[in-house]
Amino acid sequence: MVQIIYKESSGAEHPVDAEPGKSVMQTAVDNGVPSILGECGGQLACGTCLVYVDPAWREITGEPDDMEEATLELHADNPHEGKRLSCQIKVSEEMEGLVLHLPDSQY
Amino acid sequence: MPSIAEMDLPLLPVEDPDFQRDPMPYVDAARERHPWLARFSQGYIVHGYEAVKDLAFMDDKLVMGLGHVVDFYQVQGSPWARFMLEMLQSHTGAEHARIRASVAQAFTPRRANEVRPAMRRVITQLLDDWTTDDHFDFAEFASYFPIAVLCGVLGVSTEGIPRIRRAIETHMASLTLDKAKYPAFMESFDLLWDYAGELIAERESAGANDETALLDALIAAKNAGKLNETELRDMLLVLLIAGYDTSKNMLTLTMYRLLDRPDDWQRCAQDIGFCAKVIEEMLRHSSIATVFRSVVEDFEYQGHVFPRGAMVAFAMPLANRDPQAFPDPMRFDPERKSANRHLAFGRGEHICLGQFLARAQLEEGLHLIAQRISHPVLAGDIGWRPFLGAWGLSTLPIRFDAAA
Repeated sequence: MVQIIYKESSGAEHPVDAEPGKSVMQTAVDNGVPSILGECGGQLACGTCLVYVDPAWREITGEPDDMEEATLELHADNPHEGKRLSCQIKVSEEMEGLVLHLPDSQY
Repeated sequence: MPSIAEMDLPLLPVEDPDFQRDPMPYVDAARERHPWLARFSQGYIVHGYEAVKDLAFMDDKLVMGLGHVVDFYQVQGSPWARFMLEMLQSHTGAEHARIRASVAQAFTPRRANEVRPAMRRVITQLLDDWTTDDHFDFAEFASYFPIAVLCGVLGVSTEGIPRIRRAIETHMASLTLDKAKYPAFMESFDLLWDYAGELIAERESAGANDETALLDALIAAKNAGKLNETELRDMLLVLLIAGYDTSKNMLTLTMYRLLDRPDDWQRCAQDIGFCAKVIEEMLRHSSIATVFRSVVEDFEYQGHVFPRGAMVAFAMPLANRDPQAFPDPMRFDPERKSANRHLAFGRGEHICLGQFLARAQLEEGLHLIAQRISHPVLAGDIGWRPFLGAWGLSTLPIRFDAAA
């Protein structure tokens, strides 16, 4: 297990024990983290699991691929940096302490 | 723990014309007896927001129930039955993901935005053709729009639309579970199947390879071994069928809802951002789809046992009017702020593939129609469609001032 910290814009933190191999979206949904909806269940079809990856962690979480970019266009007006769809980030051992910021709304 | 088969659940008369016109008196009474579950003639109907949301994610326990539809008509073994049982929605897990992936790229938010100019051309042409008079049946007008947009997405000519439009409408009637409609929709299926085959053959013999044309991409997927020939033809039919009744009915209901809101209509003509809010609230207030699922193994939910073999309908139009999720649900308010989002496009594995395309075309359509059709008023009797399948208006006669 590794610990992932989901942070609301209010500053409230949700530390969660995450199982490597599972997606960051599913980990959030299973642990009742607010604001991550995951309406499609993780098949990159809804764009409702947006997170902002903390700058210190972007290298480890990686860049979105073409399909994810095309879906992230839903959030084109959102000026935040580090936007990712969390169903596309798979938890790994090197993510111990990963910090993800939560949007106020997914739509 | 009680099985839902043994519970004294209220019965919703979904086939009753009064229910089709206004289901809410029946549903309000049913909620007094059970907050989220009722019976209907063929099985169970889930009408509570949280319950539909939770159950829609249980794809492994509740598979798409098109087998029940086939069983209802007792036509196992027919080409139509094969299509219903093998098309995208009837698959689950890895097979579903493989087939869905063959088209997913054409339905991203980015792609939906890229085809907005084509949507505007289609709707402008339709308005040019239809506004030479000062009245028409809006439901008929709207029926040309989504299918023309889809032809644009596929990269095929709109010339075939008059031939297939009625057939798609008739074919969709299979979901209303009315045995009288069986011969007509079987005939329609044959026509659509032939049409799909001809379209594919034409594109293949022309050697077309337009990277923005979805049909060419699907043919390429077949040639690369990702889809077989039948799957390609099934997929083409699914795309033609799935986007038709749904978008047409939403657009018609939107027109109907705005007939007595002239200020909103005017604002839609001026502001496409407001159109987006209107469409989103319409998807909440007057969504149209009821989908069938089938219980593949006994499971328990909220203290209820769902027995294997049961047919369960998710009534999105009713769940989106659940007062527990949406206070004062019958109030139509484009500015509504809600912690919950409507279920019009479903949830989970089978979430609507075309949701971004649908939103974009409804927004663009509403914006341009409101510019060209001024002061619309009701000009005759409206008709309601069957509640099951794709609910909505069958006729909406309007009169208007045509703007230049």
